[in-house]
Amino acid sequence: MARLSPRLIRQAKSISSLLPPLLRANRTIEAAQRELNWIKRELPANEWVKAVEARDRLVPLQYILGNVPFGNITVKCKPGVLIPRSETEAWVIDLSEKVKEVANDEIGIVDACTGTGCIPLLLAHELDKVGVKTRVDAFDVSVEAVNLANENKDSVEGSSGVNFQIGDVFNVNILEHIGVEKVDLVTSNPPYIPFHDYKKSMFEHGIERSVKLYEPQLALVGEYEFYLELLQNIVIPGHAKAFVFEIGYEEQAEFVYEYLRDYSAWRVGIWCDYNDNVRCVIGWNVDTEFVKLKDMCDHLYEPKV
Amino acid sequence: MGSKKILLQWLATSSHHKPHMIRRHLGIQFKRFYSLAPQLHPLLVSRAQTLVQDKKELESKLETYDAELQLKFDKITDIIDRYDRLNTVQSEINELEQIAQDPSDEELANEANKELDKLVPEAESLVENLTNKLLPPIKHAERGCILELRPGVGGSEAGLFTADLMNMYIGFASVNGWKYKVEGKSSGAGVVNEAILSIDTPGTYDILRHESGVHRVQRVPQTETKGRVHTSTAAVVVLPKLSEGNEASLKEDERQFKPGEVRIDTMRAGGKGGQHVNTTDSAVRLVHIPTGVTVIQQDERSQPQNKAKAFAVLRARLAELERVEEVAKQKAMRTDQVTTTDRGDKIRTYNYPQNRITDHRCGFSLHDVPGCMNGTKLGELISQVESWEFKERMQDMIAVEAAKK
Repeated sequence: MARLSPRLIRQAKSISSLLPPLLRANRTIEAAQRELNWIKRELPANEWVKAVEARDRLVPLQYILGNVPFGNITVKCKPGVLIPRSETEAWVIDLSEKVKEVANDEIGIVDACTGTGCIPLLLAHELDKVGVKTRVDAFDVSVEAVNLANENKDSVEGSSGVNFQIGDVFNVNILEHIGVEKVDLVTSNPPYIPFHDYKKSMFEHGIERSVKLYEPQLALVGEYEFYLELLQNIVIPGHAKAFVFEIGYEEQAEFVYEYLRDYSAWRVGIWCDYNDNVRCVIGWNVDTEFVKLKDMCDHLYEPKV
Repeated sequence: MGSKKILLQWLATSSHHKPHMIRRHLGIQFKRFYSLAPQLHPLLVSRAQTLVQDKKELESKLETYDAELQLKFDKITDIIDRYDRLNTVQSEINELEQIAQDPSDEELANEANKELDKLVPEAESLVENLTNKLLPPIKHAERGCILELRPGVGGSEAGLFTADLMNMYIGFASVNGWKYKVEGKSSGAGVVNEAILSIDTPGTYDILRHESGVHRVQRVPQTETKGRVHTSTAAVVVLPKLSEGNEASLKEDERQFKPGEVRIDTMRAGGKGGQHVNTTDSAVRLVHIPTGVTVIQQDERSQPQNKAKAFAVLRARLAELERVEEVAKQKAMRTDQVTTTDRGDKIRTYNYPQNRITDHRCGFSLHDVPGCMNGTKLGELISQVESWEFKERMQDMIAVEAAKK
């Protein structure tokens, strides 16, 4: 990344001595000022210096402040657990609106690789508002994640139906393990960065340094295997009506589509984020009310013949 | 403090709101020099008289029933009934005043005063009611407001003046006990580059909308070493607050627009996004395609919150645009373009060396800069503008009526 110009640093210093350390992560004065405002708003004054110093080492702001807004809720963040992304926030908001339209009085959801628990907590919170009884069984292979998710559950209204457990999506008996027989909707934001991209820098279409340095590799590195396990171990045996999985590459959506070729009732589509990147692969069983999820898709795969 | 002094002070601070009440108190305290019967503005009286004519015309048309005409007729009849009642009350008040001032019969004078106590408020409420019914309503008058302040010409001095104006409005809001919130403030090295003040209290838009325009300051800036007076400006835009600008109001705000009417941009760097990056940029930009109005919000960490705020501001800006166009249209109908208040958008000059603030619209000067800048005297200026605007509006209305005929 290009070196910061001495002029920019001097200019930042003339506004506040706390500003120059924020330039490395932010690159512009305006963006640095916004972060400084948030630091000042959320942390006591005696922690400001420590906070900007951490930011100078590219520690994610969400770990420094200890939380991130996610739709209408606020989710705690701790090192060791992946920080919820705004792209995830966007599709969960979209999905909750759609589910409000289709859900009767009850819905059963499984969320795999739950991390902070942001996806099931926001869904439960939103559905609770319209009086839909939501039962979510969410799991993560990381103990740290499950502990944090349980902490988050305590601060989110309407989340009493959400359960977090330790579980591995590679376990063929995962449904039995978490005590679920039948599920309506499966959601997941599994690791989706192939290892060869994980090693690359941002400029080679790899990942940001801050992510590489501070976020858990366990939550980031994966390619097709997670989608295979999600379908094999949860969607099909749980007789799910629909699923939404976050993805990073179009090939991952194609993989899911190819897998479901043998199942004539399934349709698959893609949801794109605000940068027009493919972000979710969505599937639904055409014989169920979740056929509505079709409206969320920006692109539909041809049904098989 | 003597009671006369108290009354005069009261007169000075609140004369705009309750002129008749004060006259009445003065009348009790001293000898009555003029009638205390509340009066309808002469222009409104002439408007009411044309309505009497309209009613006669309608009556002849209504021999065959027409639902729409009937509705109009009923409306006019209601106004005329009130107008007649006001005339009756006014003449009663005049007579009673004569009796009350007659020193020969104290008992009768007391009776008359008692009666006046009942009739004057009735006349007051009739005048208020008729004024509202006869003048076209101000759109969004009942709303709260959003004030946007930006420096104009004059470099960092303009930024300092923008900060002063901001403090003036905050002071004015606290003096009046209004709920306010500083929504956004971008500043660097002591000067304000942009400030947004949101006032929730209903009806504040009707008062503060008079503050829209360019404010000019003439003073020796703090940075000036040779003691020269500089002239700088700051722009104030006052918008009606149509929505709360939170996630709950977002859906309602979005429904106000047709699909495709608003383009929503999130200003993030390109690249892969998702798990690959960990950005804190949550800016949202809205572009209203038919008008080109653009709103950017980036103060909140949450993107949906920025979006909700942006939609609220967009609605407010479009409503203001619509109102300004409407006023301009009415003005265009006026044949007598005698008023020369149009000095660009410059509405007011703050002259510090002369301790004077002049409002160019009504030509009123206030000789108390510190009192105005802390918000306590701003009300006086605004009420002068209000009464000027009242006359303007009536002249506009008469011009519109004339154009119809």
